[in-house]
Amino acid sequence: MVNDAGQLYTMEGVAAGVIMLLAAYIVVSTTSIYTTGDTHIPDMQLEQLGSDVLAMMDAPNTNGTTSALETFVSTNNGTGFNSTFLSYCNATTRGTLDNLHMSANITYRDANANKINEYPFVAPDNTWTGRESAVRATRWVQLPKLSPKPVGMPGDMRTDPQAVLVEVLLWRA
Amino acid sequence: MARMNEEGQWIVLMGLLVAVALFFLALIINQSALVGQTTAEGVLEFPKNDIRDLREAVFDYVDAAGALDPIERVDIEKDIITISLERKNAVVQFGNGTPQDVSGRWLRPVDIHYNNGVTVYNETVYY
Amino acid sequence: MLSLDFLAGFTIFMLALVMVLSMVPGLLAGLESSGIDYDAVAYRTGVILVEDPGWPAYPPWELYDRDNKEEIQRMGLAVSKETPNILLSTKVEKFFEESFFTSEDYRSKVIFGDIPYSYNISLRSETYNYMTGDPLPPGYGYIRRVVKIKEPGVAEIKSPGPEYVIPDPSAPEWNSTARNFTVRLNFSQLLDPGRGPAYRIDPRTEPVNITITNFGEYRNITGPSVNATLHNVTFWKMDPTRPNPRFTRIPFSYDTIDANLYTLHINGTADQHSLQPDVPVDSSISLVLKPAATSLFTLDQNSILDIRFNFEDDPPRTNITGTHPYDYTNVSHAGLKTAVLEVAIW
Repeated sequence: MVNDAGQLYTMEGVAAGVIMLLAAYIVVSTTSIYTTGDTHIPDMQLEQLGSDVLAMMDAPNTNGTTSALETFVSTNNGTGFNSTFLSYCNATTRGTLDNLHMSANITYRDANANKINEYPFVAPDNTWTGRESAVRATRWVQLPKLSPKPVGMPGDMRTDPQAVLVEVLLWRA
Repeated sequence: MARMNEEGQWIVLMGLLVAVALFFLALIINQSALVGQTTAEGVLEFPKNDIRDLREAVFDYVDAAGALDPIERVDIEKDIITISLERKNAVVQFGNGTPQDVSGRWLRPVDIHYNNGVTVYNETVYY
Repeated sequence: MLSLDFLAGFTIFMLALVMVLSMVPGLLAGLESSGIDYDAVAYRTGVILVEDPGWPAYPPWELYDRDNKEEIQRMGLAVSKETPNILLSTKVEKFFEESFFTSEDYRSKVIFGDIPYSYNISLRSETYNYMTGDPLPPGYGYIRRVVKIKEPGVAEIKSPGPEYVIPDPSAPEWNSTARNFTVRLNFSQLLDPGRGPAYRIDPRTEPVNITITNFGEYRNITGPSVNATLHNVTFWKMDPTRPNPRFTRIPFSYDTIDANLYTLHINGTADQHSLQPDVPVDSSISLVLKPAATSLFTLDQNSILDIRFNFEDDPPRTNITGTHPYDYTNVSHAGLKTAVLEVAIW
């Protein structure tokens, strides 16, 4: 009890430290959600666009006709699918073209082995490096009886009516 | 402890200033990111397009079912169920009952169940 | 004693600080979020436009006139709830009618939200090119949707089929001066739920388009100067679910020209005629009956609507007769048209 001035300095120092620590703690705990947030909006926009395009390709233009998507898949016409898909999703209302690229796989079930297999429908073009933040859009297609089976379809794929899944990877180059 | 020594209070004041500054910086960054992020994530997380697509696939299946033999029907059902599980991580089940009279029209009750671990969707639709 | 004072004061201060800080984010959220939720608002606006038919649903919002504009709750462009991304052309045309809707209407009926957002909504296809709103600044929220547009069909009655020509005009039952040709819309057939809404002919929401071409071939007496006179066009309805069903003439302002209700063009000219034109027809008749008129007729899903073309000359100058069904075989449909819709919000 010689001089208590030093004790008060200590106390104020501790108080300042507590305030700053508390602030830092709250700040860190709230902003931690931020980390991946910024990439989600373009992802959402692309995914919605991809789903829209597949859904519209699957909507026949007149009642009772086969949709463009089903025709492309059942005739294994990957080039036609690619150009139609890109013409739909690169169109803008200003008339300029967007710069989206795609690749597509088709997943089917081998009924004999009860195995899920896939085969490439549209190969990625040269803008694909593997580092793009690509999004995936999928669509079910029910194929009629394939007779004969189009060239390029894998051998273990059935020719009977079947449901296959078209998976499209979509990215902005 | 005779009387209060006020010389040290600037330390507390400094601490406060730093804390408040930190808070405002954090708030501005955080709030702006939070809104856009939750909306985009909400849209991505909820598989609206997947469920819509599944419904249409089931309706296509019901449409086509009449022209198929029982083995083909079971095969298509298996296609949808196993590929859903493998490629979309979603447990899917569906079935259609015998047609019923719904206000003058003969419609089939079609059951659709979808569960991807986050979203569960069940529906009985008369088709 | 003094440090006790300090501790007490400090504790109170800390408690207050914590409370204030926990409240501040709530206060700031509303202010700060407007800067970044543009994408979210654009997404929501896109969903309302593309996946929702709007409200009120029947009569549909696009039929409301200027006096009843306030009753429109929500402007959606979809054909129905079950057909997302398939838009109805009549809704699209009405939506982009900038002389009808103000920017305040767009904000309160399709964008929603507390903040008066600026917007730019555009739609483009091979035939459509619509835009409403302000020019785009940098840093706006954005969504693009790919859609298809459903357009109304046209019933074109080309050259005279034998069923529409009186075989023997000299027979006693044809000695009247009147010649009637009827186009029949059977609603129970048109609105059959077995057909998907994207491919349905619904006269309650889409214009009915009837075109009779090569009319000269129905002529009774040859020679260019003896064209038959279209005396009037009348609407008749029948409700088959009632006892003793019969056709009754629908009261309507047949003598006033109103392009919002119908347009009648004769001989391919741009002149608008009323439904009591009394003009000679030498080549074609084109009638477009707008849904705004059909909604006045109080029709339901079982009604039968007859559109009767009456020709009156003494002696009769045309041999047209019969009933032409306006149905899925006679109405040619152009099919759905692909288009792209963009919404930008800032």
